[in-house]
Parts: sequence; C-alpha cells; structure tokens
Amino acid sequence: MAKDMTLLWGSGSPPCWRVQIMLEEKKLQGYDQKLLSFEKMEHKSQEVLDINPRGQLPSFKHGNIVVNESYGVCFYLESQFKNQGTKLIPDDTDQQALMYQRMFEGLTFYDKVAAVIYYEYYVPEGERHDSAVKRNKEALDTELKLWEGYLQKLGAGSYLAGPSFTLADVVVFPTVANLFRFGLSAQRYPKLGEYYGLVKERPSVKASWPPHWLENPKGDEDTLKDV
Amino acid sequence: MAKDMTLLWGSSSPPCWRIQIMLEEKQLQGYNQKLLSFEKMEHKSQEVLDMNPRGQLPAFKCGNHILNESYAACFFLENQYKSQGTKLIPDSPDAQALMYQRMFEVLTLHQKMVCVIYYNYMVPEGERHDSAIQRNKEALTAELKLWEGYLNKTDCCLAGKEFTLADVLVFPYIAYMFHYGLSSERYPALAKYYNSLKDRPSIKATWPPYWQKFADQDALKTI
Repeated sequence: MAKDMTLLWGSGSPPCWRVQIMLEEKKLQGYDQKLLSFEKMEHKSQEVLDINPRGQLPSFKHGNIVVNESYGVCFYLESQFKNQGTKLIPDDTDQQALMYQRMFEGLTFYDKVAAVIYYEYYVPEGERHDSAVKRNKEALDTELKLWEGYLQKLGAGSYLAGPSFTLADVVVFPTVANLFRFGLSAQRYPKLGEYYGLVKERPSVKASWPPHWLENPKGDEDTLKDV
Repeated sequence: MAKDMTLLWGSSSPPCWRIQIMLEEKQLQGYNQKLLSFEKMEHKSQEVLDMNPRGQLPAFKCGNHILNESYAACFFLENQYKSQGTKLIPDSPDAQALMYQRMFEVLTLHQKMVCVIYYNYMVPEGERHDSAIQRNKEALTAELKLWEGYLNKTDCCLAGKEFTLADVLVFPYIAYMFHYGLSSERYPALAKYYNSLKDRPSIKATWPPYWQKFADQDALKTI
C-alpha cells in the first residue's frame, strides 16, 4: 500500500525520478515523501542515514523493507504490484529481451552523461583537466550516437523496447531528460529529441517533473551545447 | 534451448562469468561458446562487433535475442526458464528486496574497485594525482567494510539463506578481488562467503581457465 511507503528524494536526480515515475505507473500515489536539497547537504542528514547508511538519495522504504538502489526499487515494485497499474515487463520475448538489454545499457549511458554534467561535483578543483573534460564529452558523443541509432531502427513513436512503454523507459527517460535540460541539441540528435517529446507527455512523467525545472524552465544549457 | 544460445567470452571477466554461472544454474549446458583473448584485441573483432557494436565481452545471443549486458542476460534467462534449474528470484518480499538491493549496490563496489586496480589504465599520465589515488583507496576500504558488515549478518548468501541472482551477479567480483590480493584476514566475512561458494557446482564448472594480466596481482593487498 502506498501509505506504507516513504521516499526521500532530490529534484532532478535521475535515480530519484525513476522511482517516482514507477510509483505513478503502478498507481501507488499517496506515499509519504520528502524533497531534500543536495546543495544544503540534506542527503547526509540523520533522517536519510536512518534509512540509507550511504547518505544518498533516493532512499525508499516499504513497511520494514528498505531498497535504496533505484533499479532495485523498480524491479521490486514491478514484482510486488504486477497486477496493478501499467504492466512494465512485457511477456513478448522480443520486447522483453530488448527491454532488459536497454535497461542495463542505460547504466553505462547514465555514467557517461553524469561524467560530463556532474564533472565539477565529482572531481575536486585541483584534479580537473581540460583533457578529461574533452575525453568525457567524446565518450558521451559516441554513446549518444548509439542511442540515436537504436531509436532510428525502431521507428517513430517507439519506446526503447518497441511499441510499449516498459521498465527501460522508466529508468532511461530521466537520463534523456537531463540531457536536454543541460542543452543537448535536438537538431544533432533528432531521434532522442522525438523520444523526449513523446515520453515527457506521459502522465507519470508529468506528475513527477522536477519542481525546480518548473520554476526555472531554462537549465544550464551551455554544458552540452557543443556535444 | 541451450543449442540456440551463443556466448562469446573472455577468461576471468566477471560479466562473462556471471552468464556462465547462470547457464549452469538453469541447466542450460551445451550452449555454443567461444573463448576470446582481450590481449589479442579479439573483443574488437568483426565476430564480436556483429553481435555487440560496443566491441565488448560478453556477447550473448539467445535465439534471436541479443543480450550483451550480463545483468540483462541473467534476468532474461531467469524469466524464460523460471521453472527449470535453481529458482534464483525468491518469492518472499523481504528476501527479494534484499536481493535487488545488493545486486545493484555491488555496482558501487565495482566502481570503487576499478578506480584502485585500474587507475593507471583509466587515467592518462598527465591527469594522475596522489590525492585521487589516496581518496580512491579510502573509498574502497570504506565500501569493503560495508560489505563485510552485510556478510557478517548472513548465514550463507547475500539475500539470506538461499543462493539467489544477487550471488550469481556478485560472486565473480568477490573472486576477482581475492585474486588481486584482498586480505582474508582483514575481510573474514567476505573470505567466508568466497570460500563457501567457490565449490558450488555452477561456479566450479565455470572457474576462469586463466586470469587477465591487466593489473598488478597484488593491487588490493594493502587495502
């Protein structure tokens, strides 16, 4: 039941957003939730540490059960609420296999995006190098071309695993949304642009859109403008 | 059917090993397989690129389905062969949740391990910093202490009394770390876990024929 669930989250964080989309898709609205600020270091507060000794967000509790890894929460919820809300793991083996493949490629994708957009968060000032920034951008460019190709092959109006919205979209869309927030060019990546346009209208995505993005519709658009 | 499956793999690569363990656990022996050499750059050969445009191993095909991501292959196989071989996803919500938590947490452990073992491989000479090397070692030590704590509380396996998908996915990393010199004295619970599973039939049958020499074999000795 949603009222036995608690989610501590940060705005715009892809791992947090995945869990929120999932809870919407499984019709689990009404859970306890608290928006915390990374900037104010609230992810290291006692409230978070009590659920998640790593002091990270998302932190998620269902009764006595704790799962803090976003992919873990998604799989857990799909399993426990299989017959409720959207069916997110298709029975059709073609879509199922492609869904799993893209979900886990999504981890590599997220790492490459994060290495660019969160560079200054991860790397202390004295250790930053232009050569590293350049290399990370090149790696991201290679990765983006792969995903552009995947979407191209599936055709217009498609989700990542085919005709249906699946767990692959739940976990990967937040990464894609962050790309456009940070200035990725939809002209250079038209298929990703179309995918973004398609999924952002989905009710679960609209309902969980990062609040600070609503307040400031323009993000840090310089970061990815030359990727 | 195993004969409709093909695995291209490299020796001692944990992602490759996971799929091999999985195939054994699901009684899918008899699949087509080919051992390739990272040293000879065979992972960039046309044969691999045809299955995996990333030029990485494992490259795995199950009938018409390409599943190069080891977690994807394992999840798909468990789903498709649910009633065959070992049941690897428990029904109990508690055990299931813990299994999912650990199998995704291990990605953090892996990242921290890679930052120590492969530092010189990943970071070009002009970008290396003693401060980073020190920080990476401290981060790995802290991470290992967490896992030592997790395994201290358990009788057998990561999610409780039963061997689950979490163990299929995690065990190869643990074996890798002991191969690279992790101290059993400093990490007795991890060592106990390692020793209790290394003779499991699926693990014994797929033990790497040799270990890659990309890094110093004592890389983790002082952690």
